[in-house]
Amino acid sequence: MTANETRGNIARTLLILGRLALAAIFLFAAYAKLKPQAAMPWSGSSIKTSLSLFAMQVDSYQLLPPQLVSPAAHFLPPFELFLGLWLLSGVLLRYSALITTLLLGAFFAVMVRTYMAGLEINCGCFGPGERLGPLTLLRDGSLLALALAVTIGAFVQGRKHQVESAPVTRVSAPQRAD
Amino acid sequence: MSHAQEAKLSSRIIRPFVRHTASRATSHAPWATAVLAMFAIFAPVSKAQTAATPASTKSAAPAHKHTAPDAAPSAPVKTIGNHSAPITMEVFSDYQCPSCGNFFETTLRAMIQDYVASGKVYLVHHDFPLQMHTYSGQAARWANAAAMIGQFQDVDAALFDNQAKWTADGDLGKYVAGALSPANFKRVEAILKGCTGPAPTSKVDRSLPQAEAGCPVDPYIIQDIVLGTQIPVQATPTFVIHYKGQSYPASSGIITWPILKQFFDTLLSQ
Repeated sequence: MTANETRGNIARTLLILGRLALAAIFLFAAYAKLKPQAAMPWSGSSIKTSLSLFAMQVDSYQLLPPQLVSPAAHFLPPFELFLGLWLLSGVLLRYSALITTLLLGAFFAVMVRTYMAGLEINCGCFGPGERLGPLTLLRDGSLLALALAVTIGAFVQGRKHQVESAPVTRVSAPQRAD
Repeated sequence: MSHAQEAKLSSRIIRPFVRHTASRATSHAPWATAVLAMFAIFAPVSKAQTAATPASTKSAAPAHKHTAPDAAPSAPVKTIGNHSAPITMEVFSDYQCPSCGNFFETTLRAMIQDYVASGKVYLVHHDFPLQMHTYSGQAARWANAAAMIGQFQDVDAALFDNQAKWTADGDLGKYVAGALSPANFKRVEAILKGCTGPAPTSKVDRSLPQAEAGCPVDPYIIQDIVLGTQIPVQATPTFVIHYKGQSYPASSGIITWPILKQFFDTLLSQ
């Protein structure tokens, strides 16, 4: 095995691990937001309650007008679930990784803005009860870096595949017109 | 109200809260053990406080309408609304904290006029004066003294309404006087006669504040601080919602009334 092949194998393995880590994090984030609070069993009503509780956390960021808070709170957890499953599948990884990076970038920007504004609120990242602070910023910044690395890796690998699988066209020598 | 009813009512608020926080508190032993011990000592007082809510306050009507003018001061009643409302909301607040003022003006006021008045929500105020604020402990003393004579709701509103003014000049009495009749203001002043030293506040190092000897309201403020420390309250305002014996995770910061109302509606529709 050549050094190039070894490097390629390591890169592929890291890409898979990064993808799976992101998938697990997004699936857990969705689960933490949708799971029943208090001692309620899983049901449509319990999910509705959890989403309403999450809406309060979204609202505490004081970023969205009240009429947009609820739609955002009801959209985000199912979207995180979808993104987690998409990353897990590995299908069209370039796009799933890019969307993940953009989403985490948006989350990180909002969190930094909120922290700098001095708002002492719950993060809401993995369900209720976690205060927004330096540690949550460090964690989300690390996740953003991971998502960015996976996106770059996915694009690089995708380009390699394109080059390798491209049909080889031989340019025939021009015929001499005698 | 019978003793059985009082016990049932107090357990409705306190027990789910303790159950919710006990697992967290035990991880901070031995400090937490001391706090729990303190809570156990103060629990009977808390029961009295909760149970002392006039049974006739079916609406958010000011409590002083139900209090005889010459009644002797008792444990402060810092609750608004009907104690048998399906939802109980406990708010840990600091009178000098701008977010608490904002939360009161934009959310709690609307909630009191709407869901508290209609008997859907029972609002329980807890003092959590922060050490960083010069007058918050003193403001809590005024509120507790007013609550001892059944005048909490008006003084609570007056303190938040004039927060910027008394934060600037420190003259809390002026704004409390504006919310009370002259006779009631004299009674409140009399309660605070022995409160000349620094008021208790929550400490950054989480050590327990000391009550001033001769100041009858300080133990109630400390009781609230101990309760808040167990949650743990990390910022003000922090609130905990109870419904059907379940306690929902504490939330911090300013939540607008439409979003809070939506959460209440979701609970009530269960």
